[in-house]
Amino acid sequence: MSQSLRPYLQAVRSSLTAALTISNFASQTSERHNCPEVEANSSPEILLNPLHISRNENEKVKIEPSYNSVRISIRIKQADEIEHILVHKFTRFLTQRAESFFILRRKPVEGYDISFLITNFHTEKMLTHKLIDFVIEFMEEVDKEISEMKLFLNARARFVAESFLTPFD
Amino acid sequence: MSQINYRTINVDALDPESSANFPMESLLPATLPQAASASDAASAAAQVRQMLRGGDPEGALRTVLDTAPLGGDDRAKEVHLATVIDVLQGIRQGEMTRILEGVCSGDGGAERADCLMKYLYKGMSSAAPGSGTQTPKKPVSPQDTGFSQIQARNLGEGGGGQQMSVLLSWHERLVEIAGTGSIVRVMTDRRTV
Amino acid sequence: MAAHQVHHLFHAPIADHSFSSDKKTLAVARENNVELYQQSGNKFALSDELKGHEKTVTSVDIAPNSGRIVTCSQDRNAYVWEQTPTGWKPTLVLLRINRAATFVRWSPSEQKFAVGSGARVIAVCYFEEENDWWISKHLKKPIRSTITTLAWHPNSVLLAAGSTDSHARVFSSFIKGIDTRPEPSAWGERLPFNTICGEYLNDTAGWIQGVAFSPSGSALAFTGHDSSVTVVYPSAPEQPPRAMLNIATRLLPLNSLIWNGETEIIAAGHDCEPFRFCGDENGWQLAGSLENKAGEVRGAREESALNMFRQMDLKGQAQADTKLKSTHQNTVHTIRAHEEANGVVSSFSTSGVDGRVVIWNV
Repeated sequence: MSQSLRPYLQAVRSSLTAALTISNFASQTSERHNCPEVEANSSPEILLNPLHISRNENEKVKIEPSYNSVRISIRIKQADEIEHILVHKFTRFLTQRAESFFILRRKPVEGYDISFLITNFHTEKMLTHKLIDFVIEFMEEVDKEISEMKLFLNARARFVAESFLTPFD
Repeated sequence: MSQINYRTINVDALDPESSANFPMESLLPATLPQAASASDAASAAAQVRQMLRGGDPEGALRTVLDTAPLGGDDRAKEVHLATVIDVLQGIRQGEMTRILEGVCSGDGGAERADCLMKYLYKGMSSAAPGSGTQTPKKPVSPQDTGFSQIQARNLGEGGGGQQMSVLLSWHERLVEIAGTGSIVRVMTDRRTV
Repeated sequence: MAAHQVHHLFHAPIADHSFSSDKKTLAVARENNVELYQQSGNKFALSDELKGHEKTVTSVDIAPNSGRIVTCSQDRNAYVWEQTPTGWKPTLVLLRINRAATFVRWSPSEQKFAVGSGARVIAVCYFEEENDWWISKHLKKPIRSTITTLAWHPNSVLLAAGSTDSHARVFSSFIKGIDTRPEPSAWGERLPFNTICGEYLNDTAGWIQGVAFSPSGSALAFTGHDSSVTVVYPSAPEQPPRAMLNIATRLLPLNSLIWNGETEIIAAGHDCEPFRFCGDENGWQLAGSLENKAGEVRGAREESALNMFRQMDLKGQAQADTKLKSTHQNTVHTIRAHEEANGVVSSFSTSGVDGRVVIWNV
């Protein structure tokens, strides 16, 4: 059963627009500190209710907003075990290079494949709607990427099998 | 002397003045309705289903949103969520916009829109339970694949797709009518559904 | 005259801005410093820098009559800057707070100023002649979280504060020897220090981002992170308010607001443009944006229909643009009355994360 991706991405987009209304906030718990409140998790009133958007049980997004930061966790579609392994390898590859991605979180939130952490310093330097575009683009590209890798892997496997089995012809 | 590892005690949690102990109930307005029980929610559900069968989906949606158990316990909220989802699924695609316009206008229309938005997000979060609470399924492959660091999870297209697509199309329509402000209020409002 | 003047000062967030009373000097908070700009012709040119804070400056205010500048920062300090022949001289204020200072405003009398902080106190500061320094008294109860915004009542005694505990409160900051006893009003009759004259919470409970008293001081408006504006009309001391009207908007949250007369409010925030609200005790509504975007023409870069539909399908939006249509390109943090007479604002200024200060004509 195939549903259009559009309503899903639209919902993610409008939810992100609403959540990325963040501003500078100095820590209430530690003196002279300024850290992402969603990670510090030190005062409950600074965190807002998280939002969940799901397309089905295996494709969903969790948005955890706070005063100065938003954590976005994505669960990428995995139809079978190969895709599962590919997603794992792919996200691991990305998270190991997290510092060049700015908003990527080094470790995904439990139950999700990849997480982003956007703070007020990111929205100050970059355009908010472009950041949203990036997340949306990532979501659609990653699906495509995984399917392509899977096709490629299958093609290779077929080729390897063929060359191994030729001697028995 | 009992052996307590004093280093592991979270002293902030013991300090009533600490910001970690913010009284969240102080964020609930005084106008919060009386706590509703599961049986109240069930009787509201019966009434709403009656209206739905009687061919009054707009009235059904209006009633179900007006009777939301904002102050109820978890059980009541669950029962009510199921009712809301039933109503939403019982309305045809073509009628959504017309019904939404009706429900979100008039006295208390903005509150109903916000309430519906809360239910849409709640519906999307609960129908696809987080894998953290799920019992781990056994691996799909009979042999050990060597990827032991990957936890097992249910693969496949995933269930609940039908219901999600209904909720997503409601979400899209509602954002058109109530704007992103309504989503912002889902995040800030501590009167959860 | 142009609809509005845009001054793009730099590419960094402006936490707060303030004009001197002659509108020739503009102070903006930029990272750890405060920069002073002098008007020359149509432009504002950098003239001086106030250096001293070690962390992000959160707020700056120029007293209209005395010309003194007060600044506060996340390094927990506030300074009062006075102009001397050798330049601006800072005086440290004894705030006695152990968390970031978040917001500062002079009282209309200019005898006092209030500093909001993350230590869940408001420090009301005044000058002590004997010791020759600025000292503070704390407003403490019942604040439960960081103070985000403050506003003074015209009588310089009542102080409105918004906090991340989602309550907007009105306090008395009466200091013996500094203030004259205020006239009794709907807010209260006898007003010793730390009297709570009002405490308000919205149904949707967002963090309060902006508060303002109406020009007469008989109504209070506040805006929160729940994208709403609430107007409170007090009835009598210790009584519930006569009316508390909430306008839930379909916009993104608003950060700051000012009154224009008794029947109009102008507010701006994450939508990057100012909005006008109109009403009175019987009801308020959103009257629309103050920005005229109708003249905007579609870019010459016409996309093919196929491309457009593909965009819509893949990204859930019709057109991707890097530039916003609004004047401000990012969140607006502060809105202030620029020129006003008897409470009626004829122009106002806004500043935001995009490093722009814009002066708007109403």
